[in-house]
Amino acid sequence: MEFRLEAHRIVSISLGKIYSARGQRGGLKLHKNLLVSLVLRSARRVYLGEPGGECALPPRPGPPPPPDCERLRRGCRPLASEAAARGRPECPAESPRKRSAAERDPAAGYPGKKPRREAEQPPPQEDMETGNVASLISIFGSGFSGLLGKERGAAEATEPGQVCCEQPVLRSLNPWSTAIVAF
Amino acid sequence: QTKTGVLKISHDIFLWSDIISTVEFNHTGELLATGDKGGRVVIFQREPESKNEPYNQGEYNVYSTFQSHEPEFDYLKSLEIEEKINKIKWLPQQNAAHSLLSTNDKTIKLWKVTERDKRPEGYNLKDEEGKLKDLSTVTSLQVPVLKPMDLMVEVTPRRIFANGHTYHVNSISVNSDCETYMSADDLRINLWHLAITDRSFNIVDIKPANMEDLTEVITASEFHPHHCNLFVYSSSKGSLRLCDMRASALCDKHSKLFEEPEDPSNRSFFSEIISSVSDVKFSHSGRYMLTRDYLTVKVWDLNMETKPIETYQVHDYLRSKLCSLYENDCIFDKFECAWNGSDSVIMTGAYNNFFRMFDRNTKRDVTLEASRESSKPRAILKPRRVCVGGKRRKDDISVDSLDFTKKILHTAWHPTENIIAIAATNNLYIFQDKVNSEMH
Repeated sequence: MEFRLEAHRIVSISLGKIYSARGQRGGLKLHKNLLVSLVLRSARRVYLGEPGGECALPPRPGPPPPPDCERLRRGCRPLASEAAARGRPECPAESPRKRSAAERDPAAGYPGKKPRREAEQPPPQEDMETGNVASLISIFGSGFSGLLGKERGAAEATEPGQVCCEQPVLRSLNPWSTAIVAF
Repeated sequence: QTKTGVLKISHDIFLWSDIISTVEFNHTGELLATGDKGGRVVIFQREPESKNEPYNQGEYNVYSTFQSHEPEFDYLKSLEIEEKINKIKWLPQQNAAHSLLSTNDKTIKLWKVTERDKRPEGYNLKDEEGKLKDLSTVTSLQVPVLKPMDLMVEVTPRRIFANGHTYHVNSISVNSDCETYMSADDLRINLWHLAITDRSFNIVDIKPANMEDLTEVITASEFHPHHCNLFVYSSSKGSLRLCDMRASALCDKHSKLFEEPEDPSNRSFFSEIISSVSDVKFSHSGRYMLTRDYLTVKVWDLNMETKPIETYQVHDYLRSKLCSLYENDCIFDKFECAWNGSDSVIMTGAYNNFFRMFDRNTKRDVTLEASRESSKPRAILKPRRVCVGGKRRKDDISVDSLDFTKKILHTAWHPTENIIAIAATNNLYIFQDKVNSEMH
């Protein structure tokens, strides 16, 4: 039970960090925000009692056997998800990587390497993909209590900018936890 | 405009922009460069030891100061780019001039440092101040001669390597071929030729096709000191990847993966954060790698991928305080690590202005403090101790009275001698071991 209390505290601290990271000088720090999102994910699992939540805690004596923490650590979703039940492979051998150089610019002239020549074409300004933050902030702007209402239904989430969802808000944090990662 | 916020620590008040953000000796140890959050670089030069002034033996004095980077604003993304110098790396000296690379979050610059101690005098057409002479007064021709002048150190930007990185640059490393160098950001590593600024080769790319699948970022990288085709990069998950540029053009597939399985008894909400590697350094021999994560330094043998050969606890007493350290952001502090010249001693910083040294042969370790009180010139540093309950000796510091705002993130060791440079917030300390000045 005390783990749930600590998890709750960590969730609220983490959300506060993500919120305040928005105005940081120098732009969003991808590394720090990734780490915060991983902590948030672990704490959320413990708080909600989801399978895999035990991975964030030190092992306790006695049953049940812990879930496959190594798979979770590698970023795979827990096996108890619908997709696994359907038999779809959940975890690639490695983290998804960008396609190899051979598939990118065959006309580069250099075997496999892709030099970016500024003189010939201005490089497309690659986005750090921070667009999802805006919707995230609109939820957090309503205060953390809005997220803790596990019993709330969709009817209450009617303010503009908030998410309308079928399930209790915190339980459906899943799309938003991935938005956190998408900094 | 440079940020001029004021940070108050205890009774010290100083400018945010004066905080030192990187320290690096050059290959001979004659020069020491520091970068700060205000985008400035200060180069110190070691005074040659002379018999005339025995007390001035080998001290470092300011040699040159210059503004390397300025704050920039990316209007398209509405982003301010900090001028903070993240890393400085010296190029091996190839002529009378010295060269170094400095980088902020986005742009790497190559600087040439030259000395001028003579100037030409006796021009025919202009006078000493450079004004054109009245030609009617010129009755004969003279050859200008070089006359000695006060030493002037000039630093000029020779190359600017811009637009290579979407994410924040965390490390740069000069190749042993002295022609190329690499720069790493959170998701990519680029290879540059020192003479070519308009293109770079991408050699590592771990950006997932869908950013929502991101689980890991690059935290540091370095070229092997002798094999110009090998480099290593560390990740936020605590792994090291050794890559061979001869194996393939895009080094997404590592040649070797160094990873230690997690200790299940130490699992916590913060296990992932504290396993993130903040620095990686090859030994001078090239045989080993040194890594720093939040609580430990580890020595890895290139021939063994399954676990480090040595692990040293830097401040294990913080393990029970991780939640507080997460709350005050200290858990995200990125400490660096260093080898001594003979690879027998390793060093890293900690909190309360403490830094730690571990002797790999004797297995002895020491905690020292960089502070004005304990660092009068030629004073001997007294070993410090943090007590974790139990018997407390005089001068011990308890864990709860550690000052977490005084952190030593950046340290450097002279390439051959027992001289170390310690950056403590805005102060630089240089300690020399006079008794044991030769490497043992």
